[in-house]
Amino acid sequence: MYGFNFKMIASLNGTLLMIVAGMMFLSTGWSFYYGEEWQSLVYSGALTLLAGGALRLVNYGNTNTDVRKRDGFLIVASGWIFMALLGCLPYVISGAIDNFTDAFFETMSGFTTTGATILTDIESMPNGLLFWRSMTHWIGGMGIIVLTIAILPLLGVGGMQLFVAEAPGVTPDKLHPRITGTAKRLWIIYFLLTMAEAFALKIAGMSVFDAINHAMATMATGGFSTKNASIAYFTSPAIHYIIMVFMFLAGVNFTLLYLGFTGRVKRVFKNEEVKVYAINTLIAGLVIGVLLILFNDVGTEEALRNAFFTVISITTTTGFITDNYLLWPNFLIFIVFVLFFSGGSTGSTSGGIKIMRHIVLIKNSFLELKRQLHPNAILPVRFNGKAVPQNITNTVAGFVLIWLIVFFIGAFVMSAIGLDFMSAVGSVTATLGNIGPGIGSVGPVDNFAHIPQLGKLFLSLLMLMGRLELFTVLILFMPHFWRNS
Amino acid sequence: MEIVIAGAGAVGMHLATWLSSESHDITLIDHDQDTLTNIDSNIDALTLAGEVTDFNLLNRAKVASADLFISVTSVEEANILSAIYAKKLGAKKTIARISQMQYLTQSDILNIKELGIDELISPESLAAREVRHLVKTNAASESIEFENGKISLLGLDIDEGAAIIGKTMAQMADMHQDSRNYVVVAIKRKGQTIIPKGYTQVEEGDHLFVITHTDGMEEVLELTGKRKIEVKNIFIVGGSRTGRHLARKLSKDYHVKLVESDPEKASEIAADFKDALVLNFDGTDVEKLEEEGLHKADLLVAVTGNSETNVLTCLVAKDRGVKKTIAMVENMEYLSLSQSIGIDSLINKKLAAANFIYRYIRRGDFVVLSTIHGVDAEVMEFNVTQKCPVTKGRIMDLKLPEGALIGGVIRDNKGLIPRGDFEIEPGDKVVVFARSECAKKMSKFFK
Repeated sequence: MYGFNFKMIASLNGTLLMIVAGMMFLSTGWSFYYGEEWQSLVYSGALTLLAGGALRLVNYGNTNTDVRKRDGFLIVASGWIFMALLGCLPYVISGAIDNFTDAFFETMSGFTTTGATILTDIESMPNGLLFWRSMTHWIGGMGIIVLTIAILPLLGVGGMQLFVAEAPGVTPDKLHPRITGTAKRLWIIYFLLTMAEAFALKIAGMSVFDAINHAMATMATGGFSTKNASIAYFTSPAIHYIIMVFMFLAGVNFTLLYLGFTGRVKRVFKNEEVKVYAINTLIAGLVIGVLLILFNDVGTEEALRNAFFTVISITTTTGFITDNYLLWPNFLIFIVFVLFFSGGSTGSTSGGIKIMRHIVLIKNSFLELKRQLHPNAILPVRFNGKAVPQNITNTVAGFVLIWLIVFFIGAFVMSAIGLDFMSAVGSVTATLGNIGPGIGSVGPVDNFAHIPQLGKLFLSLLMLMGRLELFTVLILFMPHFWRNS
Repeated sequence: MEIVIAGAGAVGMHLATWLSSESHDITLIDHDQDTLTNIDSNIDALTLAGEVTDFNLLNRAKVASADLFISVTSVEEANILSAIYAKKLGAKKTIARISQMQYLTQSDILNIKELGIDELISPESLAAREVRHLVKTNAASESIEFENGKISLLGLDIDEGAAIIGKTMAQMADMHQDSRNYVVVAIKRKGQTIIPKGYTQVEEGDHLFVITHTDGMEEVLELTGKRKIEVKNIFIVGGSRTGRHLARKLSKDYHVKLVESDPEKASEIAADFKDALVLNFDGTDVEKLEEEGLHKADLLVAVTGNSETNVLTCLVAKDRGVKKTIAMVENMEYLSLSQSIGIDSLINKKLAAANFIYRYIRRGDFVVLSTIHGVDAEVMEFNVTQKCPVTKGRIMDLKLPEGALIGGVIRDNKGLIPRGDFEIEPGDKVVVFARSECAKKMSKFFK
């Protein structure tokens, strides 16, 4: 019977590491530019390149190029782990982060575009390393684009077929017949948007270095900033608005962005997920904004700006901060907490449960009431006007349920490790949802440095699980998966 | 006219019978020799056995010189292909029967005319169209429209207590001094068709055929004691193609519940029609129908593949208080039974298709819209030109044949019901009702 094609899996991971190495070398540019210590990045790059080369050598002479579904799960999970293992070398070698666990956490947070940090003083880091830190986000974002368009739909994870039905895949909506063709188009959009944002931020008054770093972190919906106070450091409202717009765009299905760019705007506005995403943002932003005006003594513009910034930052799972929401009235903190469970659109770089799944589940729940009235009626859930097959609805329900179970177990584990209730819940939502800041002691102006080592490793796992849509990682824990039959 | 018909199924047979009786030259192609032998002894037509997509056979059928090629086999692909071949071989006009909905709803994507097919017909869609029309003029059991309803022919049952009972035709004509709003063209009484004279009285239990124009409709309904039923809730029993066409046509304007017993088919339909509520159970299960509010339904249409089921479902529905029922039947002999068995209307998709083709053939010349079920008469529409003898004087002076009358005139886009002193002018469109035996004589007035 068929076993795993470990050689191919190794080889593909090797290719991935070589790309990572290339990006490390690229980051060295900033070290030279700022006249900093550059050896750590170069050494890390060399080591990563070596590791990548070695992994590729494993495949030397292997004629079996078959990659099956089971290999796919392994490639995806191992890819992210390898990237995080070698991606933390610059921090370790330079000594900027003094222990491996912290460095691994920081890198995993980067590659999973979470944005949770253990750094207490970001501004003291060398610029080259800061750039590498933002770069991990950006690479992670690129990886997610491929993951969502090419791999997850094939693996059938959590109703991702729905996304396929609307975007690339088997339907006429496909952008290009080949996955690489589609990926290239989406990467171009990703790249162009990053450039555009960096340019806009520069014009609005950021330094070139900060502009590029923040642009990379925004488009990946990551949330690493080069400043200790995150976006709040920049007092210019223009910068806040620019980041808000690009965060919102990064939370939209990239296929739709591509269609929009190529003039098919109508298709974008007809998309149900985009509509719900926009309305959701609008309502939450307005509610929080108005209540902030009423209960906190701030100006109208500032209140609305902070409200919308926070709403967009949290729903898209970016995690940039302009205002410490933990200082808001309690019921507003609760609204923000609810948004932790939202997530952006499918096919975007955002994490979390995602809008599509909420739509399908809520519709299904209301239909359940109607089904009580008409026991014999066939009432399919409709998404984008098309009927969703019942098995996909079930997969989506399963996904959300497992998401919540993981959330509860995670919160339990974190409490057992010693965190207080708020921090345990906050740290788990922030990492499982790939958001970054949470509530409690891991709130928007705090960081994850005080979490025990074991907790950091556990949260790293949660980040990976959240990023890879749970099933991809969880299936690796099934004994059945490893059985050779 | 030389007409080649491919496919000797019910539609083909029906057409061949009609058309050959009107002395057209019919060639009938079918793959089944036995059917053809049978036809040979009944219909005056040339028959050829073989596949309809065999172009050698089409050549032998002299498609090249045919005025019309009609492919009405049960296989959609064969119909389309043979129609295209026929056009290429030289047939002047081609008609193909199709069954997939996409040809009708999205025909502009694939330019069917360019391929060589002049007209696509779908019996299912035509039957659905007939039902929709019946829903709209729901007090009548038959309804035929002329020129978008400017003139219509209605078939109405006269129930106990209707104001019209006891009135003579002359009395009705005198109720209005200058103009008339309607005219009774035929009465079906105890299985016999009467062409009414001035002294004929309307009796209880009659089935009247009335020609009226748009504004006269209300008056006719009032006089015959028919209230237009306010239709809101419609049950469609059966997810057949006809059922789907119906759901598509009706679900925008009415609350439609469609009952289909096959779960797979039901989910398919549910996916396609978001405005209709699709129920998955056997349509003969009265208890479940009741549960879904059968008594509150205004109309039930039974269109399963089984005629007997359809008829029975309708009877049960009528018993439970559904105001109007329509059943689809396969067997044409059943059509004349509708009144006696208590179902408001019966439809037959093959008849609907044959009617459509018949009308298509007569386009430009005159139009026989329909032979009315169970009545030995025809309704025809003529375009009046300068040369027509009918323009030579007042209607009462024309010496029109007995058993034929001019029911309506469309002049300047308005429907009129003419009196005896009316003069027909060139450019008018005239609706004529005639017993079959004087239809030919009548059409001479329009030559």
